[in-house]
Amino acid sequence: MVNPLSLFLRKKVTETFEFRDEELEALGTEIKKEIPKVFGHSLAIRELDSGSDNSTEIEISNLGNPHYDVERFGISFVASPRHADVLMVTGAVTLNMAGAVKKTYEAMPSPKFVVAVGDDACDGGIYKGSYAVLGGVDKILPVDMKIPGNPPSPKEILKGLVVLMKQASKEVKTGV
Amino acid sequence: MDIKMNKDTMELLSIISGIVEGEPELLNARENEIYLRLSETGFEDATPALAERKFSLIGLFCAEAFEKKSGFTLFYVFKQAGRAPVLVLVREAGKEKKVTSVAGTFPSASWFEREIRDGFGLEFAGALDTRRLFLHECYPEGFHPLQKAFKNGPIRWAEAPSTEYRFRQVKGEGVYQIPVGPVHAGIIEPGHFRFSVIGEPIFSLEIRLFYKHRGIEKLAEGKSPSKCVALAEAVSGDESMANATGFCMAVEQVCGINVPERAESLRAIMLELERIYSLLGDLAGMAVDVGFALVASPFFILREEVFRQNEKLTGSRFLRGINTPGGLKKDIPDSLLKGLPAFLKKFSRAFESAFDRAMSSSSLIDRFATTGIIKKELVSPLNLTGPIARASGCPADTRLDRPYGAYKEFAPEPSVRKRGDVFSRFEVKTNEIRASVNLILRLAEKLPQGPIFAESTGYAGQNLREANNPGATGYSLALVEAPRGQNLHWVYLKNGLVDRYKVRTASFCNWQAIEHAVLGNIVPDFPVINKSLNLSYAGTDL
Repeated sequence: MVNPLSLFLRKKVTETFEFRDEELEALGTEIKKEIPKVFGHSLAIRELDSGSDNSTEIEISNLGNPHYDVERFGISFVASPRHADVLMVTGAVTLNMAGAVKKTYEAMPSPKFVVAVGDDACDGGIYKGSYAVLGGVDKILPVDMKIPGNPPSPKEILKGLVVLMKQASKEVKTGV
Repeated sequence: MDIKMNKDTMELLSIISGIVEGEPELLNARENEIYLRLSETGFEDATPALAERKFSLIGLFCAEAFEKKSGFTLFYVFKQAGRAPVLVLVREAGKEKKVTSVAGTFPSASWFEREIRDGFGLEFAGALDTRRLFLHECYPEGFHPLQKAFKNGPIRWAEAPSTEYRFRQVKGEGVYQIPVGPVHAGIIEPGHFRFSVIGEPIFSLEIRLFYKHRGIEKLAEGKSPSKCVALAEAVSGDESMANATGFCMAVEQVCGINVPERAESLRAIMLELERIYSLLGDLAGMAVDVGFALVASPFFILREEVFRQNEKLTGSRFLRGINTPGGLKKDIPDSLLKGLPAFLKKFSRAFESAFDRAMSSSSLIDRFATTGIIKKELVSPLNLTGPIARASGCPADTRLDRPYGAYKEFAPEPSVRKRGDVFSRFEVKTNEIRASVNLILRLAEKLPQGPIFAESTGYAGQNLREANNPGATGYSLALVEAPRGQNLHWVYLKNGLVDRYKVRTASFCNWQAIEHAVLGNIVPDFPVINKSLNLSYAGTDL
């Protein structure tokens, strides 16, 4: 039988990764505190690309890499919109994607939030005036939060989520 | 007009003169490109003869109201492996609504022709596929956005179209279809995959893309080149530097701008940094797709470190906003560059340790080896380029075949594998990261001092306010080796403004290889095959 104490006393199995960003840690602690005011214990996000240049996708997926590792703050990215609390949309909503964007939103259970990430998702950005796009995500879905940037950095995206949770917890409290 | 010819372009001219009857009309020639206008019969004689001489069709695009012509002009860009200059055959479609297809001879033409048909409304007789490409069903019939008559702006579109896209039908006992996408289960770009499978093995795959069509080429029209750089950067986020450089090079060639040496070297350093972070994402993704987080994590850590390095050097994690026709908008101070060698040394140590860990896993090698094979025979007909081609036994690399900028003096070490499977692509990509690290070290060591921007520019950008500068008119083609392969940029300036911008990324052609690579593989191996190719949706859909 393994002495359970030895599990605590032995060296960590994972390699040391020397990186610490106090601002990030503070953001993480904050969002971890805010999430339960609105949802259970965690925040499930479905990412949806409605026509971005792919840099925003890269920054969103970077939130999962070891530098940020946002799962430890209660944030997870889910595969199905049916499991999602938040829909994170990138891109200026192309005509070719508009139908799929709507279907994805409709597949989500309520309460649900929509976050537009990146300049093009916020207001069409560089694609403004193109025949091929509708403009910002708010042209097709009710948007709760806009996170501008070309693209926004992982930390900026996290900051946006903190603001969203604070805003949502206020709404829950006042029953709006 | 005084047209300068060199030995290489003379040779191309003599090849064509030897094929067609009568002298071809020489429109233009530069160091690495020659434009020949052919009659219809001349063109039809030339194409099969070029195929016989092992030329690949690397680009095909259309322009309306080109030079003094009315109607449509088609540009067929041919390149022979190992030969630097490209041969552009110019074909006047005029007011004709139909020309003959070359897809039977050059299969890479099939998507190009469909793209032109959508954009300009030009039909191709004998085309392999006449379905729409980037205009999905929501677009109205008869709408062709790249025609000059269409002024960019909102259009009437169908939110719930009544027609459906016709996918290839595979029928037979036990065959069933698996539709996937456009929205995938993960943080990735949208696209549709239609598998026809028999049990687990894939019998047929048809891809449908262009969900992200944003109208980049139309948006470029009428803009000044300096304003267009941001559009080039938006073609594909993780190729921002490569596409900005390609676009700038094309403009610089049109205007006869000589970019200062320091700017060329800094561009090359940034291009290689982009290659490193982009390829690291592929390696990490491949490890993720065989469920091996222990290898994925160190690659992800390194990639983030490179992003941070990019930000330190340029202020942008994606190296954006620094390139401009004529050079760079701002210098990277030596005080920042000084730290690069130490960073790369540390980087290499961590990289090798992650690589060793990957290679010590028999299950990883088992999943990679013999999976997703792309045969060498496909490379030229489909115009496959980049690590994909190099993992299938074709050494083509634009930096070596047709060196530009600082690559004229600093060549990367080539890496070629023959098997064409996922494992070969993994090996080639790891070698290319090593080669990029070495290249950056060499570039940084011999970095010239001096200006980073060419003073006289002939386009309507910085000098717009100078009333006596009418701006340049002309056209030129640039090829750059992006992390995914060769990207083509063609710019036609009229009085200093962009009249037509054609960009063809490596992904546009490379995507077509995936339909072949998956055949006979099981569906659960699709993600790792896809990741090993790592194709850009944004860069294809435009």
